[in-house]
Amino acid sequence: MDKVVIGGGQGFWGDSNDAAIHMVRHGGLNYMACDYLAELTLSIMARQKLKNPQAGYARDFIGLLSECITDAQDNGVRILTNAGGMNIRGCVDEIASLYKKKGLTGRKIGYVLGDDMTGEIDRMMAEGITFDNIDGVGDFNEIKDKIVNANVYYGHEPIIECLSGDADVIITGRATDSTLFLSPLMYELGIKEDDWTNIARGIMAGHLLECGGQGAGGNFEYGWRDVPDMDQLGFPIAEFSWDDLIITKAPNCGGLITEQSCKEQFLYEIHNPVSYVTPDVIADVSRATLTQAGNNRVAVEGIQGRKRPDTLKLSIGYHAGYKVATMLSFAWPNAYEKAQKAADILMKKMQRKNLKAEDIRIDYIGLNSLHLGISNMDPAHVKDLNEIVLRVAIRTKDKLEAEKIIPEIAPLQLNGPPGASFFGGRAKVQEVIGLWPTLIPRDSVKLSSNILTIE
Amino acid sequence: MAEIYLNQIAHGRSGDKGDTSNVCIFARKPEYYEVIRREVTVQKVREHFGDMVQGEIIRYEVPSLSGFNYVMQHALGGGATHSLRLDSLGKSMGSAFMRMKINLDETLEN
Repeated sequence: MDKVVIGGGQGFWGDSNDAAIHMVRHGGLNYMACDYLAELTLSIMARQKLKNPQAGYARDFIGLLSECITDAQDNGVRILTNAGGMNIRGCVDEIASLYKKKGLTGRKIGYVLGDDMTGEIDRMMAEGITFDNIDGVGDFNEIKDKIVNANVYYGHEPIIECLSGDADVIITGRATDSTLFLSPLMYELGIKEDDWTNIARGIMAGHLLECGGQGAGGNFEYGWRDVPDMDQLGFPIAEFSWDDLIITKAPNCGGLITEQSCKEQFLYEIHNPVSYVTPDVIADVSRATLTQAGNNRVAVEGIQGRKRPDTLKLSIGYHAGYKVATMLSFAWPNAYEKAQKAADILMKKMQRKNLKAEDIRIDYIGLNSLHLGISNMDPAHVKDLNEIVLRVAIRTKDKLEAEKIIPEIAPLQLNGPPGASFFGGRAKVQEVIGLWPTLIPRDSVKLSSNILTIE
Repeated sequence: MAEIYLNQIAHGRSGDKGDTSNVCIFARKPEYYEVIRREVTVQKVREHFGDMVQGEIIRYEVPSLSGFNYVMQHALGGGATHSLRLDSLGKSMGSAFMRMKINLDETLEN
């Protein structure tokens, strides 16, 4: 293949399927990659799997695949996804039943195992790995008995192996978002393992696509009023060849691809533009350019790459207590003053009940819950607010402590300042999962590529 | 000199990694790049955010995109899920950043 066309079908676990289905049908794709994993997703999936051994992956993907599998087959679109999460085999089994149900025999599901290293921490410690936190904080000994999951971020090699095995769909766990896109580009064009600049181009193509709609006019500050047909927002598509990288989208859908929409995604969650570190390459985007090359077409140039790091990132989620947020609304007049009074009553009650909280946060939604200290607190503005929502959030070590606050908020309708209105039902205590990112040597990770043929 | 909100001459987006927030901002017109470079210093960003941002702030310049990347550590109240903030991922850190007031030469105004 001289030119590979790949689309970004999902930006996160919970995203809409509409754009993905549209691009499989009308996007002229060779590949579609769907990212489901944010930083904490695997910890949440680990908890789900603990409750139900059949859960622990992004079930949403099964729904998406069910809707577009026939079109994907007819149009020759191969699909890659990290939807496997913490239960890759469970996800593969479900896809296999889906294929069978649709009578699609002979199809192949590729999958990569080995990123879940939760059970190997002790072995690695014995080998002398110290698990120092990348951010330079904390003591690993304090969290090592509270680990929820430990997953390593990995790159293209095992995915390319699945592609070589003719997999129609490839399921991974914590493959990086961007390597889901890079891998088919390397495979189709034959990009060599040490061709750092072209690998970096592929990674940045992935980076521009991995957040779905956010790369095509969604969450777009520059000119959000002017984005066409956001009710059928298209997601971005990359056309990748040795010479060109073009970002575009499918015909007959909403959204836009402009220099500015690409810029906002380009540096998103990248820290140092000279050194964007991934398992595949260290990308240097500090001299990159984005140029409008037609209607809804942007050319990406000037990306460079350097040798990949010798270590891989292991992301460890650990149990870090509980939290709960409760809310109560108030209306004009003096909405803010009433909400403050309610907060005061609540805090005094909690003190009397000897609440042991590690942190307490009081915010006023409608006034200062997002911009915090930067909010406009001009007295005239504050005094005339139509309405406000008091939000009290607490974090505790113990679950029973967190529960103490829950039954105390609704009674303030009758027992507190006038006009309070409780909504949304009783709050639920959530588990707090802390993140512990660390680096481990590549050779301590053993990944395997597998193919399941549907009979 | 006129005092304006940064969002009049710049646009951008915020993202998160743990407790670190990054805000990338781009000049709405190429001539604004130097204004942003001059006005939106690390010191100014620190003063703007006050105790919302507890850690180091680094500014990276990307002139080929008329853009900057501001990386702010310990900026999300502990990061998801530790943070008790309503916006624990800092989706609104970008607009909070854009609320900064800066000085613009009147010759550059529209």
